[in-house]
Amino acid sequence: MLLVKIVAVEVLKESLPKRLEGYVELRYHKRQTFNVSVKDGKIDTLNSGTVEGVCARVLTDGSWGFASTTTLEKVDEMLKDASSLAKSSKPKKKRVVKLASLKPHVDKYETPMKEDPRKAGKEELVSLVIDVDKAVRGFSKTIVSDTVTFNIVDDDLVFISSEGSEIHQRIVRCFGSVTVVARENGNIASAYESIGGQSGLEVLEKTPLMNAGLTAAERASKLVSAKVAPAGYHQVILENRIVGLLAHEAVGHCAEADLVFGGSFLANKIGGKVASEKVTLVDDGFFPNGFGTMKYDDEGVPTQKTVIIEKGICKGFLHSRETAQHFGVNPTGNARAWNFEFDPIIRMRNTYIEAGDYTLEELAEDIKEGFFLKGGLGGQADFNGEFMFGTQEAIKIKNGEFAESMRGVTISGNAFEVLKNVDAVGKDFIMRVGLCGKEQVNYVGMGGASLRTRVLMGGAK
Amino acid sequence: MNLLDFAELAVKTCQKLGADECEAFIQSQQTVEVVLERAEIQNERFKTQSGIGIRVIKDKKLGFAYTSKLSEESIEETCRAALSLAKVSAPNPEWVSLPSKEKLPKTPDGIFDPEIANINGDKMLNIVINAYDAAKGYDKRVDIDDGKFSAVLNEIVVANSHGVEAQEKTTRIEGYLVCVAKEHGETSSMAYEYDASTMLKEFLPEKIGRSAAGKALSSLHPKKVESFTGKVILDSDPASFILFYPVISSVNADNVQRGRSLWAGKIGEKVATPKLTVFDDGLMPKGIGSLNFDFEGVPRQKTPIIIRGKLEGFIHNSYTANKEGRKSTGNAYRESYNMLPIVAASNFVVKAGRRRLAELIEEVDKGIIVRRFSGNVRPESGEFSGIAKQASYIENGQIKYALGETMISGNAFQALRNIIDVGCEIRPTEIRAYTPPILVDNIHIISKQ
Repeated sequence: MLLVKIVAVEVLKESLPKRLEGYVELRYHKRQTFNVSVKDGKIDTLNSGTVEGVCARVLTDGSWGFASTTTLEKVDEMLKDASSLAKSSKPKKKRVVKLASLKPHVDKYETPMKEDPRKAGKEELVSLVIDVDKAVRGFSKTIVSDTVTFNIVDDDLVFISSEGSEIHQRIVRCFGSVTVVARENGNIASAYESIGGQSGLEVLEKTPLMNAGLTAAERASKLVSAKVAPAGYHQVILENRIVGLLAHEAVGHCAEADLVFGGSFLANKIGGKVASEKVTLVDDGFFPNGFGTMKYDDEGVPTQKTVIIEKGICKGFLHSRETAQHFGVNPTGNARAWNFEFDPIIRMRNTYIEAGDYTLEELAEDIKEGFFLKGGLGGQADFNGEFMFGTQEAIKIKNGEFAESMRGVTISGNAFEVLKNVDAVGKDFIMRVGLCGKEQVNYVGMGGASLRTRVLMGGAK
Repeated sequence: MNLLDFAELAVKTCQKLGADECEAFIQSQQTVEVVLERAEIQNERFKTQSGIGIRVIKDKKLGFAYTSKLSEESIEETCRAALSLAKVSAPNPEWVSLPSKEKLPKTPDGIFDPEIANINGDKMLNIVINAYDAAKGYDKRVDIDDGKFSAVLNEIVVANSHGVEAQEKTTRIEGYLVCVAKEHGETSSMAYEYDASTMLKEFLPEKIGRSAAGKALSSLHPKKVESFTGKVILDSDPASFILFYPVISSVNADNVQRGRSLWAGKIGEKVATPKLTVFDDGLMPKGIGSLNFDFEGVPRQKTPIIIRGKLEGFIHNSYTANKEGRKSTGNAYRESYNMLPIVAASNFVVKAGRRRLAELIEEVDKGIIVRRFSGNVRPESGEFSGIAKQASYIENGQIKYALGETMISGNAFQALRNIIDVGCEIRPTEIRAYTPPILVDNIHIISKQ
């Protein structure tokens, strides 16, 4: 990796001063983005830009303070702010923070890329998005509107700590999305699909934007005349593209050590059976091309593959240095910050359910009456294990055969129950891109293979 | 150089570089923030950030670039980047013009509070401790999970090549708290409470604490009811998301023009119960979204949306307005300087009804109350479905017991016609909709039998 000498980083290093007490970490973050979107055949946005900033997190006497700025000339002032916040807030905090020990790392990492977007012309990307828009609108007469986007987010990250770490990472994410609206006889339906990964522009060969466009176009035009799926407790197959949502919402959040601390449903379950033996669930910080992949997290901890559930047994949780110390385990590299304006909090990285050996037909074969659920929408987790996420399409299954398509609905369930009811997992593993909000947003990977279980569907009467 | 100088410099530079039209948008922010995690105060943040977004038009082709660095050098570089993007873009035949200069209305009252602008870390911490103590003191069974409180000073500058020049400072304090209640080894669902204000004096952290605690308690020891279709009281938060998110989407002129709104061509028609009146009010005193100009520098205004159940109008930015040869309603919005303006609500205000929440409950013979909605709403079709969190079963005008593993579903556009009553306790929600609790009929209530 070619290291450009970053002036702000040099200043940071100089100002990592001995006069400050306690532990100090400094982060530099430069985010360069490129975005093109076409709406209904017209270029709506063609953007590029840079946001560059620095932050300091100071731990004095067991109390944190944090400051950030985009004015790079004010690094000294920022450090003072962070330090004085740590001191002034100390008497009002009940918790005394301690960090798990960490070997300092001096390292560089860059997203492996075949086609570095910094070196690529942007005209081709613009015409790609225009072509997908054309194909989507031409798919069916019922399609009245579409939005096609493609984005590059190119992050330069530097982490320096008073313990002696200096880590430079360049993380590149390329991703796109398509929304389609279809109308017919006074009915309206929309569909959404996304592609991408942590990668150079070659990700467009692996997950073509055109495929996302055509999938969304087909779904919207199919669903415009369809009815809403019926409400009730049903046997379902979750399509591989949405199983990552189950991993993330039903389990992942409740395995985050800050939620475990508060008493989430996984608390005190290490070594216990929490799912059927078909379920192995992992949060991997270094999954190839994963949207949440980094070599080091934002506390300078090397990321790793963290097994949360192995063949139904709860194995571990997701930690920062602080929670690792509290729980008496090693940090797992899950402390992540959205940008320089946030201190790192415990986040998932790439969360997935490992593949099994069923084909889709085999998954359907034993279902007398049920649904094949496709296309993800927003989701949410709860402390008590009650999770939900939206689906776009529900294909009826009758006696093992796929029948008509209906409009998808939000599904919910108790994580324990839904995971215990997983009686078959497919072999069609896929890793997808996602954005998750928890105090601050972040990019995450979500993956899995199609699987069979039972959920409550919030549908029509 | 001050912010306006930088904006003027950007406009002049783009003109010099050959842009037909150009616009600079600058945002500068200072935030003091306290984060709660694992039941305690975790960290306090002091953040400053600023940046400029530059929009240029050349031969009806649009380019946009931004930078967080406000210097003469970086602004020139960003102007060049915007122009070079415009060159590779394709012309938009529907492009008319950036807005021209207009006389701005008086700055709305109560959108800037020096007490918030000058707040220090210690004062902010005390506010959070008030919320914390109120939640913990409410009942022994209540625990705080997490939360965040932010005080924000925001300065906006817009300038364009047609002489638009606007600059204003606003303040906002907002916060949320997530509480759970625990008893006999049972944990309630996560209860969430949010509030926001432009004035420090009117921000009541104790109320957030008490309310989050109360909601958590109300969901302990849940039971189930058999599925039925009937009456649901949606508290402000779920009401704004389920009912008004689809409304805001459907009156957004961009969606209307693009065939994404079921309300296209329906102005003057009945779309809701006569009990419902809604305005988009960009000039509302003390409004979170209030300012005398929008984020293109166009005067903000009060726009009637639904009057006694009848659809009255749509909201526009200059692009959607120009397409129809009409005036913008001043609804151009950007989340940040690094984004182009979109059409969005300013303050979406539901007119208060007469009854308090307690009285709405008394009206219900059989139904449920939903205090948080964890689900999905499809803004185009109005379909919604999700978990009814902190829901309770109501019979004969009285709350009977907490409900667990209960979902609700329906269609927002049908629900607007099935509103039985609109409450009077209006409060801001996270989508800038000022919404009271609303009693609706014919909602599916689903439970696992």
